Amino acid sequence: MNPRRRVAITGIGMVTPVGNDAPTTWANLRAGRSGAAPIACFDASAFSTRIGAEIKNFDAESVIADRKLLKFASRSHRFALAAGEEALRDAGIRPESATRQRWGFSVGAGMMGVAFDELKAVHAHCVRDGEFNPSGLLDPQFPADPVAFCRSQTNAGLALLTRHFGIEGYATAVHTACASGGQAIGTALKVMRRGLTDFMLAGGYDSMLNPLGLSAFCLLGALSTDNDTPERASRPFDATRNGFVLGEGAGFLVLEEWNAARRRGAHIYAELAGDGNSLSSYRITDSHPSGDGPIQAMQQSLADAGLTPEGVDYVNAHGTSTPMNDRSECAALRAVMGGHIERVAVSSTKSCMGHLIAAAGAVEAGVCALAIRDGIAPVNANLAQPDPDCDVNIVRGASRRMRIRAALSNSLGFGGSNSSLAFRHPEEVPAA
Amino acid sequence: MSASRRIVITGSGAVCGAGLTVEAIWDAVVNGRSAIKEISSWDAARWPVRSAAEVTGVDNRTLVEDRKLHKLISRTDLFGLYAAGSAIKNSGVPGHRETLAAEAVAGFNDRSGIFAGSGGGNYSSNYDFFPLLSAAGGDMQKFGRELSENVNPMWLLKILPNNVVCHVGIRHNLKGTNACITNQCAGGALAVAEAVAALRAGEADRAVAVGHDTPFEPETVLHYHRLGLMSPDMLRPFDRERRGTVFGEGAAAVMLETLADARSRKAEILGEFLGSGCTSEATGVLDIRPDGDGLRRAIEIALADAGLAADAVGMVVAHGNGTRASDASEVRALRAVFGSSPPPATGFKWAFGHLIAASGILDLAVTLTALQQGIVPGIATLNALDPELAPLPVSATAQRPRSDIALILCRGFGGMNVALLVRADAMAVS
Repeated sequence: MNPRRRVAITGIGMVTPVGNDAPTTWANLRAGRSGAAPIACFDASAFSTRIGAEIKNFDAESVIADRKLLKFASRSHRFALAAGEEALRDAGIRPESATRQRWGFSVGAGMMGVAFDELKAVHAHCVRDGEFNPSGLLDPQFPADPVAFCRSQTNAGLALLTRHFGIEGYATAVHTACASGGQAIGTALKVMRRGLTDFMLAGGYDSMLNPLGLSAFCLLGALSTDNDTPERASRPFDATRNGFVLGEGAGFLVLEEWNAARRRGAHIYAELAGDGNSLSSYRITDSHPSGDGPIQAMQQSLADAGLTPEGVDYVNAHGTSTPMNDRSECAALRAVMGGHIERVAVSSTKSCMGHLIAAAGAVEAGVCALAIRDGIAPVNANLAQPDPDCDVNIVRGASRRMRIRAALSNSLGFGGSNSSLAFRHPEEVPAA
Repeated sequence: MSASRRIVITGSGAVCGAGLTVEAIWDAVVNGRSAIKEISSWDAARWPVRSAAEVTGVDNRTLVEDRKLHKLISRTDLFGLYAAGSAIKNSGVPGHRETLAAEAVAGFNDRSGIFAGSGGGNYSSNYDFFPLLSAAGGDMQKFGRELSENVNPMWLLKILPNNVVCHVGIRHNLKGTNACITNQCAGGALAVAEAVAALRAGEADRAVAVGHDTPFEPETVLHYHRLGLMSPDMLRPFDRERRGTVFGEGAAAVMLETLADARSRKAEILGEFLGSGCTSEATGVLDIRPDGDGLRRAIEIALADAGLAADAVGMVVAHGNGTRASDASEVRALRAVFGSSPPPATGFKWAFGHLIAASGILDLAVTLTALQQGIVPGIATLNALDPELAPLPVSATAQRPRSDIALILCRGFGGMNVALLVRADAMAVS
């Protein structure tokens, strides 16, 4: 076998509740500023949870000039287009006629395809006296919009981004709930190692901040109901935590074969060094109290990267701020890190950004790359009363200046899929 | 290649309008019986599209015995769980696991993966909100207040696209590497390709790949029709009179293992997976390149992955969805790869409709039987080959494959193309 290909992160793009680009997001995460507020994009005033972490003042047309393309783009597709554009610009390389077949695409795509207004139109035309009659769809007044149909397709985001950026190689979209973004980037790493592509645009996008998405999580009781203190509502690992804050957004990375990136003089944030991927097979929403499932994902990721717990300095935790996730994730961290648990810095940037669902793992992968570049472990905001069951070295109070030789990013999903990505500082990469 | 890197198929399972087993579906295909009939799940008499290959007369408990689970999953998940469960059972893996020492079982489960191609959300899953919309009458505050009285608290869990990964994992104790691919038609075929890649890379020792979908619902039918993609009646791939596709529904699954593992447990081997290729045409949701160049590249990548020349391919199972543009560009791709002597070609969608995310993997499951029997089934609905597509070695009646290797093609929205190569000569691989 040929030696395994090494993969460099050379571009980062983000649209998040704390910033419409990566530098702003990163500055606000370092400062521990929250993006949560009362929900403004629809009237959520009578829901049990009325707060969320929305994208604010986002103008897609200022980033993507193609108006026709934007017509085919839903709210979350627009975030994806902007974050993808930023990542490519940051990397200083993009698909061109000679290279586009060697570019691939891998994305964690949100699950909500149908806009609320479209559902209301079907209801208005097809439901009489509580009965659904499909033939109402044939009513000439029914707005059967082909563009809305295209937006609703599961791979619509993939279709829009591959077309806009001209990516003609391997392309895939995945959805494993909250693990989607991590799994998409892990898939991209493997596709590059298989030699199928030399460049990947990899990431995730999601928005469930709409009446159906908010309803879904309210019904499950998964969200914090601290409606009067939105900026304090997401407090991973705090003893008083009571659910997550629903966010939205997109994150993309540009990945390149290591030596090629070096040769062209690209700025390399970090090596995307390993991917671990497991299934808890326990219960659909609950994680095993022992951390079984995430343990295997982290161990595989370390082994895949050629790392041991000794070499890890920072973990960007899944840390949703639900009672169960944080306890179980800490149990997993203790099991994996062993004697190093007191040294390894841990934080959940969901304390500021909220939970970006299918985009979470992708944005947080970018956060790890920035943390390595700047030597800063971002703060876990809102940790006032540490939970004794979450007794790990949480970055509390303020961001921590420290050299980060290697970092892990965890993403653990409903349905039991677990993703753990490993990142290595470029100076820790052995010379070829 | 060493036996640890060669990947074989040791079990399969499927459900669609043509049957509840791969054998029953094969019997329908090889005998020219199509499951495409008049729509029965709603009154479609006034509809411009009146046919589909529905799964009818099958009790949900036949698909998934555990009735409690029925409330937690969607129809597409029932199909996926059934097909994956059949493939796992038919592979003999669970019986083999029982022979292991107790302390070895956890490691075995951690090395067992699952890869799903999921159709993702259905329009109808949102219809669970209709009672609430009626009650709220456009008042969002009433909507918020009365939410919990009107909608199942588990609604989100029921519609998760990754339910099959989750519940197959729980029911069969698979805890290894996994993916849920939501890439429309390409999903099921990519699930196989990614499962094989994981096994080749040593990330798992066995993995079940499954594709499942229920595209057949009124809104989807209407939109496809308005876009000119639907046939009002039959699906006639490559025919002069072809008018579009017809939806089916269901699922298919295969169990994949390393040849070394399959040999050591003396498993029955259905076939060997040889290679895959995947490309995007970067054409957006609906458009496809008329020259078939994306598909040509996918086939060439699959041949290179398998280390094969084009003339090694003994038969082609085309995507053949019956639309004017897809069938025509598919033939151009075949011509570009195979020149003037393409192997016998066929397609199966005329028999069980287009299963979207499950289509490529269902074609794979049926193709393994075709290769074992040495039969390229005819396209029973083919009256007259489109002269613009001639010459093309398709036929209404059965042909003989030129070798024991088949090429399976799968295309989808987003300009996606996937090509899979399999061999089904049990003597050669076992």
